[in-house]
This record gives sequence, structure tokens and C-alpha cells, in this order.
Amino acid sequence: MGLLENRFQDNVVVAKLDKLIGWARSTSPWYFQFGLACCAIEMMATAASRHDLERLGMMPRSSPRQADVMIVAGTVTMKMALRVKKLYEQMADPKYVIAMGSCATSGGPYWQHGYHVLKGVDIVVPVDVYVPGCPPRPEALIEGLLKLQEKILEERPLTRKMA
Amino acid sequence: MSADQEKLIAELVEKGLAGDMEPINAIEDRVLRSKAKAALAKAKRAAKVAAASAPAEEKPAEEPPSDNPNQKFGKMIEDKFPGSLDADLNDTHIQLKPDNWFDIATWLKSEPALHFDSLQCQTGMDLGENILEARYNLHSMTHDHMIEIRIAVTRDKPNIPSIEQIWRIGDWFERETYDMFGFHFDGHRDHRRMLLPEDWEGYPLRKDYEVQETYHGIIVPKVKQGWE
Repeated sequence: MGLLENRFQDNVVVAKLDKLIGWARSTSPWYFQFGLACCAIEMMATAASRHDLERLGMMPRSSPRQADVMIVAGTVTMKMALRVKKLYEQMADPKYVIAMGSCATSGGPYWQHGYHVLKGVDIVVPVDVYVPGCPPRPEALIEGLLKLQEKILEERPLTRKMA
Repeated sequence: MSADQEKLIAELVEKGLAGDMEPINAIEDRVLRSKAKAALAKAKRAAKVAAASAPAEEKPAEEPPSDNPNQKFGKMIEDKFPGSLDADLNDTHIQLKPDNWFDIATWLKSEPALHFDSLQCQTGMDLGENILEARYNLHSMTHDHMIEIRIAVTRDKPNIPSIEQIWRIGDWFERETYDMFGFHFDGHRDHRRMLLPEDWEGYPLRKDYEVQETYHGIIVPKVKQGWE
């Protein structure tokens, strides 16, 4: 740390603000309670005491305005697609999307003949992490969430991006 | 298996069917003996099936007038509302014309001898060739009998009187049938789509349904490639 090192008392930590913000965001991504089908059951199991998402700093929020992460857990129908988009737009930046399960990633079993199913939620909102499975086990979802945390940790919100 | 062996087995099976098991048991070759026994078992089973099906064919001739509810109540409907039947009576359903269906339904529920107080299911069917068919499963809690009513209409004029005010459950049943098949239930007080969005085009359970290309700007890919 160069110049600043060993100049302060022991309980003072020195860090770049840029990294610090990324660290703070990555350790408390509150997720949007948003279950659409059977994947929602696995998401609930993940949040419940056995797998306990709160140890990763994640807690479910019922309003999109308080949430950072939207876990799209389940089949997105055409009727719901418009609402998913609307809810995503209501979330405050920075916002992230996890597509949980086959249906949300690609349409799943409705891939070919489901006239009413959106073939992947990435058609309407940008997706950060895809979690495969039908439905994914809680461990798989946690893996996905850890991947998302890694991604957020690497972000440098204050650094100007080169064109 | 050689032709000789086949011939031998055929003879043995014939004897076995007649009740003589001695020659089969006397065969020394184990494989041949088991083959003969298997053939005998098969022949016995075939004989049994033939025996079971034979009397069933004779049965209907001596049967008294049917007490099948679809036959019985279909006849009552025909007596009360002449000319309302669309096809001959049969055991599975009663085929009606749509014209006075509301009056018939009211009568089916109010007539004490019938008292169909429960509409268990109402759904539709696309029979192809321009014909759509609405189906009603009725049950009486007091008499514990049930019938099935079928009403066929054409695609150009899919109008059927609504029975929503007779059986209240028919409200959502008819809305769903309208949603999926495009029937029009005349007199329904809340005639909207049930599951699909209001602005959906077409009726998905019709045989000639074609998936719309876009929905509110979302492209619906028709042919998926690379996953076959």
C-alpha cells in the first residue's frame, strides 16, 4: 500500500473506494422474491435454514425497489414476460438478473411447442448468471449466486471505462 | 428349430390340449420339452380368450332396454324437447343441438327425477373438418347418476347458449373453453379470456392454430435449430 501503510492505528483498514464499493455490493446482494413455477420451491429451500442464504448476505425482498438481484425462478409465459420486464425496470441500479432453471434460460420443456412460453428470459432482460437444472438443486443456485458475487466483486464502479 | 421338431411339438400340443400330458413329459431333450410346454401354455391361453369372448358377442341380443343413464335420460330429453337430439342415443353421451340448450339445462337441473345439481366438467374439442364440440359432464348428488352432453357447432358460427347462470361453476369453465377453442357462449355475463392475455390472437387448442410471430415486440421463434 506504499505511502499509507503503517501510518494509522491497527483498527484502520485502508482500501481503494472503488474496490470497497464492489466488496460491499457483492456481500449484500438482496434478491427479489420472485417465484414463477417449481423453481420457486427450490429458491425457498435455498433461503430456508438448511441452506441459509443469509450467510451469504442475501435476504429476500418483496419489492423490486429494495432488491439488487432478480432471481427469475420458473417458466416465463408471454403474459408474464411483460411484467418481468416492468419489474426489472423498477429495480434500482446496480441490478443483476439470475436465470434459474431450464425454463428461464431457454424455455426448457416448452422449447419447441410451447406457444405461450418465452424462450429464455434473456430475450426481455439482460441476464448475468444462468443456473441450469430442472429445477436446480439449492447447491446449484448457491453456486450461481457465488458466481454472481465474484462478478460484482470485480466491478470497478468508479473507474472510467475506456471506449 | 427344424421342421421335424415343429411338427412333433404341434402333435404334442394337440395331445396336451386333449388332456394327455404323458408324451410331453416323456421327451428326453430338456430344451425340446420346455419348448413343447411353452407352446401348450400358449395354446391353452388362446383357447381361454376365445372362450371368454364368444359369449360376449351373443349378449346384446338378449339384453333388456338399457338402463344406461345416457340412453335413459337422452330419451327423457327427447320426449320433453322433441327434435333436440343431434344424433342417435348411445351409451357414452347425449348429442344435442345448440338451439334450446339453455331450456334443456334449466330443466335438467330443476326436474326432481333428474336433479343434475353439479356441472363437473365443461370443456371443448376440435374435431377437425370445421366442427367444434362443447362437452358437459353432469352429475346429480341426490340420485348419484351422471351423463355427458355434447353439442357440436361449426367454426363459422360457434355460438352456444351459456349455462353460466344455471351452474355458477360454468362461469370459469366457459371462459376457459372460449379462451382455448373460441366458442361463443351467448348470455355469459363476463365473457373474457380466462388464462391468456386479453390481446392474444387466435385460439391455441384449435387444430389450425398458428403461433403468432411477435407478442408486444417479443419475437416468438417458430423453428428452433441446433437442439434436435
